[in-house]
Amino acid sequence: MTSSPSTKQRRRGELGPVAKVSTHLTLTVASLIALFPIVWLVYLSLGPDKDDYLHPGGIFAKATLDNYSFVLTNTAFFNWLWSTLVVAGGTTLFGVMSAATTGYAVSRMRFPGHRPLMWVLLLTQAFPIAVLIVPMYEIFSQLRLVDSHLGLILVNCTTIVPYCSWLLKGYFDTIPIELDEAGMIDGLTPFGTFWRLILPLARPGLAVAAFYAFITAFAEVAFASTFLLDDSKYTFAVGLQSFVSEHDAQWNLMAATAVLIAIPVTVFFYLVQRHVVTGLTAGGVKG
Amino acid sequence: MTLTAPAPAAETPRSRRRAPRPVQRVRDSYRRYWYAYAMVAPVVIVLGVLVGYPLLRGFYLTLTDANSLNSARTIGVNTIDATYKFVGLDNYAEILWGPAAYDRFWSHFVWTIVWTVTCVVLHYAIGLGLAMLLNQRLRGRVAYRLLLILPWAVPTFVTVFAWRIMLADAGVINTMLGTIGLAEPSWLEDPTWQRTAAIMVNTWCGVPFMMLSLLGGLQSIDENLYEAAEIDGASAWQRFRHVTLPGLSSVSSTVVLLGVIWTFNQFAIIFLLFGNTAPDAQILVTWAYRLGFGQQPRDFAMSAAYGVLLLAILIVFTSFYYRWLKRNDQLA
Amino acid sequence: MRRGIVATAVAASLALAATACGGSSGDSSDGPVTITWWDTSNATNEAPTYQALVKDFEKANPDIKVKYVNVPFDQAQNKFDTAAGASGAPDVLRAEVGWTPAFAQKGYLAPLDETEALEEKDAFQPNLIKQAEFDGKTYGVPFVTDTLALVYNKALFEKAGITEAPATWDDLKKDAATIKSKTGVDGYWGSTSAYYAQPFLYGEGTDTVDAEAKKITITSPEAKKGLTTWQGLFDGAGLHKADTTADAYAHIQDAFVNGKVAAIIQGPWEITNFYKGSAFQDKNNLGIATVPAGSTGEAGAPTGGHNLSIYAGSDEAHQEASAAFVKFMTSAGTQAQIALKNSTLPTRDDAYTDEVKADPGIAGFQTVLPAAQPRPELPEYSSLWGPMDQELPKVASGAETLDEGLATLETAFADLLPDFSK
Repeated sequence: MTSSPSTKQRRRGELGPVAKVSTHLTLTVASLIALFPIVWLVYLSLGPDKDDYLHPGGIFAKATLDNYSFVLTNTAFFNWLWSTLVVAGGTTLFGVMSAATTGYAVSRMRFPGHRPLMWVLLLTQAFPIAVLIVPMYEIFSQLRLVDSHLGLILVNCTTIVPYCSWLLKGYFDTIPIELDEAGMIDGLTPFGTFWRLILPLARPGLAVAAFYAFITAFAEVAFASTFLLDDSKYTFAVGLQSFVSEHDAQWNLMAATAVLIAIPVTVFFYLVQRHVVTGLTAGGVKG
Repeated sequence: MTLTAPAPAAETPRSRRRAPRPVQRVRDSYRRYWYAYAMVAPVVIVLGVLVGYPLLRGFYLTLTDANSLNSARTIGVNTIDATYKFVGLDNYAEILWGPAAYDRFWSHFVWTIVWTVTCVVLHYAIGLGLAMLLNQRLRGRVAYRLLLILPWAVPTFVTVFAWRIMLADAGVINTMLGTIGLAEPSWLEDPTWQRTAAIMVNTWCGVPFMMLSLLGGLQSIDENLYEAAEIDGASAWQRFRHVTLPGLSSVSSTVVLLGVIWTFNQFAIIFLLFGNTAPDAQILVTWAYRLGFGQQPRDFAMSAAYGVLLLAILIVFTSFYYRWLKRNDQLA
Repeated sequence: MRRGIVATAVAASLALAATACGGSSGDSSDGPVTITWWDTSNATNEAPTYQALVKDFEKANPDIKVKYVNVPFDQAQNKFDTAAGASGAPDVLRAEVGWTPAFAQKGYLAPLDETEALEEKDAFQPNLIKQAEFDGKTYGVPFVTDTLALVYNKALFEKAGITEAPATWDDLKKDAATIKSKTGVDGYWGSTSAYYAQPFLYGEGTDTVDAEAKKITITSPEAKKGLTTWQGLFDGAGLHKADTTADAYAHIQDAFVNGKVAAIIQGPWEITNFYKGSAFQDKNNLGIATVPAGSTGEAGAPTGGHNLSIYAGSDEAHQEASAAFVKFMTSAGTQAQIALKNSTLPTRDDAYTDEVKADPGIAGFQTVLPAAQPRPELPEYSSLWGPMDQELPKVASGAETLDEGLATLETAFADLLPDFSK
């Protein structure tokens, strides 16, 4: 987990003035491109009418927060928030818990079936949704799991669990095996070693895995759009779509809802992004 | 959108390299596989139930003519049994060389490849460029970095809608293009422009991840290597070619693999940008979804058959990729 | 971070418990029965009226609670299809008339003939009841009806010296040119979507398919003639060029209500929106006429509208409560109220009270109803518009010829209707 000390003793020469200006110029343009769609969305969310996006110039004069109050009071926004937290939280909890033991086992133990298991995990986390969605629908119909959060959590786990297993395996690999050895000498069983010694040390890895699981489940579109039917059970990804029906697209309300969703997620992302990126590159750079 | 996956090179456990005798003893005790199996059991069971069984079921469906009219359905207390019949490999034959094979499968197949390659190349090139700019002593570095990862921080399903509005016929992008006197393409209607729009949005969404990963990679390259190269009189290009790129090779192979898989599987962007329109801009994943859930009646058998074909493509790709990686590792 | 995880964990497990306990619609026995209604109406303009009526119903029937859910119209068919064979289906659905036969065929809808819902069957317009039938049983109660009409801006027509609405497509073309030269705005803006192309087929006495003869007729000489007329209305003096953009519907609507185009083809569900526009502040400026006729001299437009249907999977208590609710919502008094608030067309004659007919929009559309063509009892009939919505814009914009488009459509239709002859 090396976040490099970087900048301080960069020894290559200072940039020349031309290079400096062009670097700043490029980065500024790139930043503007990155920023603009979001700013535009915020701006459109201030226009009170659903056709304002066709005449954006007019919004400036009549900017209002009406869309926000409408969304918060007249739609199922808080139901969506709750559903999203349930689905994302449930996926995270279930996914990370079951992945942790597997990650540990494949990191430390060589058992028959070890390699095929790794391969299956790797392949499964790359499954496109189209592979499973049809049979899943059929099975869920019989189990009456369509239109339920539990069903969605299970579906999300099909990619989250193998993915987190790999991620955590990578993390456990960085914890010295001497620790396990010490645990064994103290008379701990492998479970005990895992639970008492390794898991506490692996907290940063678990946090990264949890973060990924949460974000992935949060932003899942395909299964949620297909399997969630009652508007009080929608996750945000589905709820947001309900504003843009072909014959009655309420882009103003959509924009306001989008901003309301994006703000907390973005803040959260910025708070944890350093850890995430370090965790992520650690996986890639070592080895 | 998942964020990362394992380093493919992690197969060689460091423990084996420097295994001293006591560690060996630990290992021996672990030989009692019982523990290992108990620990992987939850995942194996979960995957068996949630992936294995549906996969078999899905494969069986591809051998039938199942659709939403003849599938089993439970209507309250009434259950209507399935009436679809076994048709063997007919579905695959129809997809791959039936009369509509080009329109329905091959055109989407080619477009999926073009889409994947173009997007990943753009992600990587722009990401690397920005990472190298950020990897300098520069005023405002942190601010740039924070701004540039914004497209990654905001959920995709939100930003796609922002693009959907901006790309509309009278949207802000065409207004801008119009004011500077350029053509105003119909981004959401003309097949070629639909594809361009999809690539554009996906590039916008995907660059920050590449940039950050590659920035991490750049920062881990030993400064002395550059110094040595400079002393040897290497030009900027030579330093890039012979120090930077090799230094990034392991992180690159990981992020390119991830990029390919994510782009190939990218559902949300195309689905949300075009809704039920734009048949030509659908990649295989969204096309398979549309066959199964976006039309009436729903063609479950065809959709599942596309799923199986997708899986086959993915398996072939990952196998080749690993073989290629292994060979390169041996060469290096 | 860790506290966050614990909090989420607690939240999630609580939620799981909650989902596990809170059963679907299966909670029966004592206490009020709660039925769920999926309404597919326009969430901004129409839904509030329905929500108010739901309150009235609950007041009159204290032992029934109605859970009102607004589902966007273009997603509802798919969602109900997902739900009805599995779980999560509503007890009552506001179903577009075209969905009824397909859902009935799959066994998703309860036949209503012997129930309270259809007690006043004779009060409804017979052709609307017929349209809700499948295999001799009735699966929906007509709730709202509509058909397409030529709506026009009277002021612009008068300014151009035209006193009568065009009776044929050729007249429309001439009028459009006159309007353009006299007023400077476009005379007519046609839609490229399939539903709006139907009048051109009916005008030649044909349709996409002949359901009785089990024959695909989209490539017949008549259909080709009708669609050639349709194609000709995208190019010429006073004719707005084809808008094939994703927002075409909104663009056409926006131009018409702001007086930038003099005539369009549209249905009564947009009446409230017409009145909101600057051109129709005076409601009497809105002209409504039967869609122009084709070369046969006959004019025809598709019958649209919505039925209230009851889910076959609900238990008896819910079905009974649903029937009572459907009866209430389709009663003469309720329909008249809906018509007054939403300017939509009632489905029974006794709901056209004097007060209702005082709305010029409703009165206007009522006069064009005789031209409405009922849809055949063919479950796949409305699915045919799917491929048409893809091909027609290509033809209209000139990306492919009419013949190419029709050939593609014939193949696509044959896929959907394997036992039909070409």
